[in-house]
Amino acid sequence: MHRYPRWPIHLALLAASFAMLVPFYWVLKTSVSGENIFAYPPSVMPKAPHLFYYVDVWYYIPFARYFLNSVVVSAIAVAANVVLNAMAGYALTRHFAGKGVVLMLFLSCMMVPFQATIIPAYLITGKLGLLDSYLGLALPQCSTIVCIFVFKASFEAVPQSLIDAACIDGLSEWGIIWRMMIPLAKAAVATNVILSFIWSWNNFLWPLIVTRSADMQTLPLGLARFLSYQEDTTGALYAFCIMVLAPGILLFLLAQKEFIEGLTSGAIKA
Amino acid sequence: MARRGRGGRWRRTAEVWCLLAPSLAIFLLYRILPLLWNGVLSFEDWSPLRPAHWIGLENYDEMLFDDGVFWQALWNTLIFMASAPIGIVIALALALLVNARIRGRDIYRTIIFLSYPLMTVAVAIIWRWMFDERVGLINYVARSLDLVDRPIQFLNSFNWALPSVIAANTWQMLGFYMIILLTGLQSIPGELHEAAAIDGATGSRRFWSITLPLLRPTLFLCFVIGMLNSFTSFDLVYVMTGGGPGRATELLITYIYKLGFSQTRFDYAAAVTVFFFVLLISVTWVANRLSGRDAGAMRLD
Repeated sequence: MHRYPRWPIHLALLAASFAMLVPFYWVLKTSVSGENIFAYPPSVMPKAPHLFYYVDVWYYIPFARYFLNSVVVSAIAVAANVVLNAMAGYALTRHFAGKGVVLMLFLSCMMVPFQATIIPAYLITGKLGLLDSYLGLALPQCSTIVCIFVFKASFEAVPQSLIDAACIDGLSEWGIIWRMMIPLAKAAVATNVILSFIWSWNNFLWPLIVTRSADMQTLPLGLARFLSYQEDTTGALYAFCIMVLAPGILLFLLAQKEFIEGLTSGAIKA
Repeated sequence: MARRGRGGRWRRTAEVWCLLAPSLAIFLLYRILPLLWNGVLSFEDWSPLRPAHWIGLENYDEMLFDDGVFWQALWNTLIFMASAPIGIVIALALALLVNARIRGRDIYRTIIFLSYPLMTVAVAIIWRWMFDERVGLINYVARSLDLVDRPIQFLNSFNWALPSVIAANTWQMLGFYMIILLTGLQSIPGELHEAAAIDGATGSRRFWSITLPLLRPTLFLCFVIGMLNSFTSFDLVYVMTGGGPGRATELLITYIYKLGFSQTRFDYAAAVTVFFFVLLISVTWVANRLSGRDAGAMRLD
């Protein structure tokens, strides 16, 4: 099966990789460039590279505050997702009155994209008094149906005899979930953590709607706000962009197997 | 568990409902209730400062017969949606290449996938810079190669703005399509290809008669994802062009946002949202029927 030459495949894939990486390079180059960023022709290699723009970012905007807000909101969302989805996923492995109704409800909720609910979701959050708060930012994403089904599938693989044994040993339902099921469902937990983290960390539309004060803004909002205030006249915008992207890229490279598996299983099930 | 009597049974049912309660509450609050409220709101004349009163189909009437921007946004959304197959075809080619037994395939896969999980707002800023009129890489290359006389104002041009946004979107989605197609390719049994090869089928013949038909559900899944993406690409459009120039890149979702939160016309925005939702559901349904399998639907048990 190895008769055809390999180099055309490598050539095509190198070209594709180049196309995927060049935009990052172009922004990175601009962010460390020492010359006027609008000088024509643009230099391909940064001239007199420096990190002044990265320092500028700290003066232009409260980067630490944005970062903290993003971390808090994501932490709430991730923690709530793991706990609530595990509970719901476990409940769905049991037989109980009304299970069919709950399944139907979940499946029909999956058909409702968040974007189709923004107007009433905003009004509801207002009635709850949660506008401009961490909880209000995180609440709509605190449980995800795809992730509930990821847990359900993983819990169903646990043999019934083990559960019965745990029951006889006097473990409560709560104990069964946390002491027995979760340790056996590490892959499902990883999928939950990664999906809920990506969704809340990258979310832009919802924070844009519910935050009012500058103090509650998350990183994506900060980026968009920076763009609307400074236009793209300063290299600091691109330094900011790199600072926002770097943690994401790092995290992806560290856990890429889990990322890819989590995102694809999320899509295939969704 | 049989030891417990009737009381135990009730207790267990109650326990199960308690476990479900928090998730159910969130979905009722942020999925079901908004959907109903949205429906009601679309038949009303209401704003936060005025009491609501029922006006029947007036909002829909305005939307369908008296609102050019709505039609423009709908048209743009459909063009955006129709562009999904371009990305899927490129991704299929990449998936076939990465699926070949070559060195470094994991590295290629990682690089191509990298852009997908990143923050879309940052991706939008990256592409604004790539498309920049003066020092964007694309104009720089085009001018250096004498392809254009004057730099193209990609994001400020009525002709170029929408294709530019679509290109950026395709760039971000490519890796995701590729990974999904790769999963599909790897689920095709190798024996099929070997048997066909022994029977003398050429590589391209095997692709058209084995790979492509077996990949059909996966391709439809990609299309459903691309279609959903075209309805929900708010971040990219909002940051890259803000819907402009004029309304050249206005999508339904950005229009809904502007109606609701810039013009405070919640009632009218709700009517557009109802249309948006019905369109989304019908396209998903058609795609599912065409795929011949329930791409996207869950197997219940």
